[in-house]
Amino acid sequence: MFGRVPAARRMTTADPRRLAVSVLGVGAAIGLVLLLQGLWNGQLVQITAYEDHAGADLFVAQSGTESILGDRSAVPLTALAELAAIPQIQQADPVHIHYTVFDLHGEKEFVLLVGSDPGGLGGPWELSNGRQAQTVGEAVLDRTFAEEHDLEVGSEFQMGGRTFRTVGLSEGTRSWMTSLVFVTADTARVMTGGGEVATFLLVRTAEPDEAVAAIRARTGLDPIPPTTLAENDREILAGIMEGPVLLMIGIAFAAATLVVALTVYSGVVERLREYGIVKAIGAGPGRILGLVVGQTVFIAVAGSVVGYLMYLGGAWLVGRLRPQFWFSLQWRQLLVLAAAAIGMGLVAAIIPARRLGQLEPASVYRGW
Amino acid sequence: MVPVARRMLFTDRRRALLGVAGVAIALVMALTLDGIFAGTTRQVSRYIDTSPADVFVSQEGVRTIHMATSVVPLAVTDQIRQLPGVSWVEAILFSSDALRVPAGRRPSYVIGYPPGGRGGPQTLVEGREPATGEIVVDDSAAKALDIALGDEVEVMGRRWRVSGLTTGMTSIVNTSVYVTFDDLAALLGLPNTASYLLIGSSGDPESVAESIEAAVSGVSTQTRQRFSAEERAVVREMSTDLLNIMAIAAFLVGLAVIGLVLYAAVLSRLRDIGVMKALGLGRLGVSRLVLIQAMWTVVTALALAVAVTFSIGAIVAALAPDIDVVVEATSLLRAGTGGVLVAGVGVVIPLIKVWRVDPATVFRRTS
Repeated sequence: MFGRVPAARRMTTADPRRLAVSVLGVGAAIGLVLLLQGLWNGQLVQITAYEDHAGADLFVAQSGTESILGDRSAVPLTALAELAAIPQIQQADPVHIHYTVFDLHGEKEFVLLVGSDPGGLGGPWELSNGRQAQTVGEAVLDRTFAEEHDLEVGSEFQMGGRTFRTVGLSEGTRSWMTSLVFVTADTARVMTGGGEVATFLLVRTAEPDEAVAAIRARTGLDPIPPTTLAENDREILAGIMEGPVLLMIGIAFAAATLVVALTVYSGVVERLREYGIVKAIGAGPGRILGLVVGQTVFIAVAGSVVGYLMYLGGAWLVGRLRPQFWFSLQWRQLLVLAAAAIGMGLVAAIIPARRLGQLEPASVYRGW
Repeated sequence: MVPVARRMLFTDRRRALLGVAGVAIALVMALTLDGIFAGTTRQVSRYIDTSPADVFVSQEGVRTIHMATSVVPLAVTDQIRQLPGVSWVEAILFSSDALRVPAGRRPSYVIGYPPGGRGGPQTLVEGREPATGEIVVDDSAAKALDIALGDEVEVMGRRWRVSGLTTGMTSIVNTSVYVTFDDLAALLGLPNTASYLLIGSSGDPESVAESIEAAVSGVSTQTRQRFSAEERAVVREMSTDLLNIMAIAAFLVGLAVIGLVLYAAVLSRLRDIGVMKALGLGRLGVSRLVLIQAMWTVVTALALAVAVTFSIGAIVAALAPDIDVVVEATSLLRAGTGGVLVAGVGVVIPLIKVWRVDPATVFRRTS
């Protein structure tokens, strides 16, 4: 006959308009957190696209080289003959990798110039159109990069004071920071004034451990697995960007917490008489606190769900308008978000709970 | 005149504080992100901004230093020296690698210049310029990697002795180190070439730049100001889309908060608004009440946001000296404009609410 009254839920949903605005506000902040996290995850994948897909089992580099992002490597081309003499090595090709900036249609484009021998390792791994570069002056561009600049197979563009003809369009070779441009090794040498050196010698082998030992012994160079290069590149990127990303995530969470606190506090102030009655008829501090926490956690969790939906929508929209932005979230991170949402609700309850703590039950008996 | 709007807003201080803080946090998001990128763009162009050169010569089509590759034959320096308005010419080499010590590593630009020349560190806080086999390191990187004068470091696969420390050349992205031109040329294996030529001019730098570009084939020339602007444009254009995404999210958060603040303020004073309407306050008058509250919220929030952003900048500078958070006037203007826009949209629902208030509500008994 006498059931429990879901007071917290009713108080929260009493004003649907306000609830909707606050859930949207929390959702926007949580959506921003997820977009930042998703973008960061995507960037960590994109930044190592080259070493992940180049098709090499080993990157032979100058001694001391640990990454593509942070280290300069110069390997003499004469080392190719020495590698050819190692029985464990099936194929070895030079590749030249240089960052460069050039103006294209009034915008500064920051690209990773990759020069490889036609038919050799190190060129584009997936072409959606056209072919690989075969001679000096030919280039393969990322498809989304080319579309943004109204370039297609056959189009010409200027880079480094030279005219290039687009002969192919590649897939999966762009991030929001940079794009890969594939040219021949000769082109890269001409553009960089390089002598008889390459950045890396890419090696295919079925016996990587034996090949590593043989390469070190014969050449004194460092053979590096692409997974190690990728890990070091991610570490360098994290060293640069992780601090600002975490700072922004922290601020976004603070914003969401304030929205929750404001919503519940406003609701509490408007219903002071009701809370006073509840206190007057015997609700203890724990019960009152439960009412507040129930509301804040409800809004925080609802806002987080909306935030996830906003993230999905935002990631889809941004991906359509700016395909160079990749977003990716792991399940572990969503679980952390769910826990953080509950924590956010608890923190947001502090100010409203303090207000109610100071409430005198006798105030309900006072007239207007 | 009774400042009714301000009193309505600030009567409940806690709610007002929460509301102002909520809008402020949204503005802090936008200002901080703007500030980080503004700081980074300034850092990126520091070598150029502090250089005594009036004009920079690079490989044709190369207009930046950051992540660029430029090769200029040394043979053109004599040709350039003969041109009118040119008072001095100095070659530098520019490469990138990592500064490595047992304690760690930092991505680094490596700048090779003739000892005593103008292309080297503009300030030495300790020690002296490098000789053969020696290197000058930035003091911020030195502190982070526990490097002292006389220590050995590794750059580009060889070891160097630290002869001096400079300052101001470490950013969130990387640091810069200085070695002799000949040492770097030997490492790069590019004889008789420079990366850039630094030009001192006795005349108008623009004219000197034009005359060099006309006289020498295969090069591009820029004044120091133009070169610096191009350098900063790299970071700015790389970050535009990201900043826009973040700005939209911050806008939505701010919109929700200001809508909540005003809505709550209006709801709590519905009877008072009813009284005012009963006494003759028209639609324009009640609208002014809501709009003034919105402006108070935004202005107070903007002031708080600027103070918080500066505080964040100071804390970040103490904890991570390589990250510069710079609040520029354009950023403030954008935040202020965004705040006004947010207020303009956020008042819609509260305005509709007050327009619909029936003056007769003041005569109803409270339940």
